[in-house]
Amino acid sequence: MAAGFNWFFVLSSVFLVNLVKTLLPSISSFLSKIFQKDADQEMEMRTEIQNMKMELSTIGMMDEFARYARLERKINKMTDQLKTLVKSRTSQQAKMKWIVNIVFYILQAALMISLILKYYAVPVTVVPSKWIAPLEGLVAFPSGIAGGVGITCWLVVCNKVVAIILHAVS
Amino acid sequence: MEASEEAESAAQQQNNAAQRRAEIRRRKLLLNSEQRMKKIVGFSQSDADSARVLEPRLQLDLDGMEACSSKRLSPLLSESLGSVSDEAAADERSVSPRRGLQKYLSRFDDAMKLRGQLSAEKPAQDSGGEEELDSFCLFRLVCSVALAVFVRIFVCQYLSIFAPFLTLELGFMGLHKYFPKVEKKSQTTMLTAALLLSGIPAEVISRSMDTYRKMSDVFSDLCVYFFSFITCHELLLLFGCDAS
Repeated sequence: MAAGFNWFFVLSSVFLVNLVKTLLPSISSFLSKIFQKDADQEMEMRTEIQNMKMELSTIGMMDEFARYARLERKINKMTDQLKTLVKSRTSQQAKMKWIVNIVFYILQAALMISLILKYYAVPVTVVPSKWIAPLEGLVAFPSGIAGGVGITCWLVVCNKVVAIILHAVS
Repeated sequence: MEASEEAESAAQQQNNAAQRRAEIRRRKLLLNSEQRMKKIVGFSQSDADSARVLEPRLQLDLDGMEACSSKRLSPLLSESLGSVSDEAAADERSVSPRRGLQKYLSRFDDAMKLRGQLSAEKPAQDSGGEEELDSFCLFRLVCSVALAVFVRIFVCQYLSIFAPFLTLELGFMGLHKYFPKVEKKSQTTMLTAALLLSGIPAEVISRSMDTYRKMSDVFSDLCVYFFSFITCHELLLLFGCDAS
């Protein structure tokens, strides 16, 4: 009975991997939010710049030039600081995304290799060989059992079908 | 009186000197008119120098060849022919580097444009700009699943499962024209940009991409068909309904 569910086990693994792949952007943004330290500071700076701009609009440049210029310099300085902060946050997000992708692809490769090694000599399922003629050799690779469905063929088929299903659903 | 005469003679001398200088300048301008025309048109000094350098060598060669042969042509005619051919060769040499430079610059412009296109299309691709399943695509997938189930239940005992699949694909080729045609926007990818820059015409690339797309559609149909067949087979085995 357990041997009869090999095909389902491979299918579920492939489905899980592809599901995690579609969720990768959300995972990386979640992780970057957790590791981000300056989120509050950025918000405060934005609010402060907004307030200063409102104050600047009330000051007449001709009447109070010195105050106007001082405030404008403050705004410019804070804007530059905000830009630097945003730049560092963006680069951190990109780095996090890159790390998450790399880790995922390593795990995916490890899973695929382990499945192939596990089912190298054992077909995931067996059907009468005349059903899958004349491609029984290709379908059975690498198990070599007549009428068997090999792990590589089944992995390719499952990957394709799961990708189509997830694409249609999303 | 004498002073005025002296002043007059000095003025005359000055005029004469000025006229002489003007005459010298005029002659100088007339002498260099050819060079000036070449500069205006775009021939550089170096090209002119190289052309001048080549001329005597070629003339010598031609003269040498003439000496080896039976000296049929007169020296004057051979010289003029040599100079004309030298000028043409020099012209060609000067034009070909320019053409190569222009070609390089145009390729560089194409590369910059393609880079801009790639960067513009990357956000669209990142935000899930994949092609949606059009009606024909959906029809194909549904038919593949339905045929797989039908073949598993009724047909597989008699012949290979791939024969009905091939028949189905032939049917799709005929039915394709009855479905609304969806214009698929060709995206600029790194591969297409590299192929364009390597000189392959865009028409060839688009046709190859079309063929590749059709082959991938057939492969998708085959995967769905085979998957549906195996799943149906396993479910029938699970529920003990296998009549084969």
